[in-house]
Amino acid sequence: MVGKGGAGKSAIAGTLARVLARQGRLVLAVDSDPMPGLSLSLGLGVVDAPIPDEAVEERPEGDPGPRYRLRSGLSAVEAVERYAVDAPDGVRFLQFGKLRGHVAPFVRSQFAFRQILDELPPESPTVVGDLPGGTRQPFFGWARFADTVLVVVEPTAKGLLSGRRLARLALGDARPRRLVAVANKVRDPTDVELVRARTGLEVLAAVPWDEAVGDAERRGISVLDAAPDSAAVAVVTSLAQRLSMERMSNSIGT
Amino acid sequence: MKLAVVGKGGSGKTTTAALVARTFARGGASVVALDCDSNPNLGISLGLGEEETERLIAMRQALEEGEQEHAPGWDQLLDRFGTDAPDGVRLAVVTSIQNPEPGCP
Repeated sequence: MVGKGGAGKSAIAGTLARVLARQGRLVLAVDSDPMPGLSLSLGLGVVDAPIPDEAVEERPEGDPGPRYRLRSGLSAVEAVERYAVDAPDGVRFLQFGKLRGHVAPFVRSQFAFRQILDELPPESPTVVGDLPGGTRQPFFGWARFADTVLVVVEPTAKGLLSGRRLARLALGDARPRRLVAVANKVRDPTDVELVRARTGLEVLAAVPWDEAVGDAERRGISVLDAAPDSAAVAVVTSLAQRLSMERMSNSIGT
Repeated sequence: MKLAVVGKGGSGKTTTAALVARTFARGGASVVALDCDSNPNLGISLGLGEEETERLIAMRQALEEGEQEHAPGWDQLLDRFGTDAPDGVRLAVVTSIQNPEPGCP
């Protein structure tokens, strides 16, 4: 999940993760944004449980590979078991890269995070990642393992421009396998058409402008808990079904 | 006076900065607006339009790719890399990285 700051990445990612879990999947929700937000949207409140420093070690001089790695003996699956926290609907939540005054732990946890995502088995858990906002580095490190990158686009002038920049970035070396748009805060069909035309991306879902989402965000709770029957939840539920179906038909196809 | 606007994504930094810049300019101040965001949208909020906003960013990008010479001082920076926005605000994009560079997570 990528997009401009405030486009609604966390709200959609949190809802999507829980809906996928309700559909029977084992889901790992990952917040890689130094500004935490996903835990609130999952309905977890404020959580401060990043990958601890002691889970990461510096690569000895001469060993091939990245500068930091998971402590030897600690596998990706074990790291998730040990350091992810339980969120509603059985979602597991892992927080990466929380910036706490000093940049070094942030860098260490980012290396650990990449290794975990690389080494987790491809079929399970289903990973929903909430990436940092903006257009600077969203694909870096993610493009190679994400099946689908969803660009959350708000149909405002700044939102559309940011969406287009992200679509353009995806043409570079860090090209994700599949890049689609999710239009958010949509008021009418022209909004959806604008997102499609301006980003050049397929619009996989159009989440309507919904006061229920705004209210939930204000209260710092999940829209799934605050307004389970809202239009926004219905659209994210369809999105989850669609992603699951496509995934299944792709597995059959290959 | 130098003002900096910071905040969470989507909280209204760019909109606030543009309104403050134009309000000061209307009050007679000479105003320079600097877009330091890696996703630079200040031109849009100042009312400059998308084409001109993207032109400034392209110039900044050309600098990065070595196709443009750096400006030796602030006045030349504003002159060469800036543009006139409504109410006489002078806008320059001073940071924009289009391509994610591996190496720094």
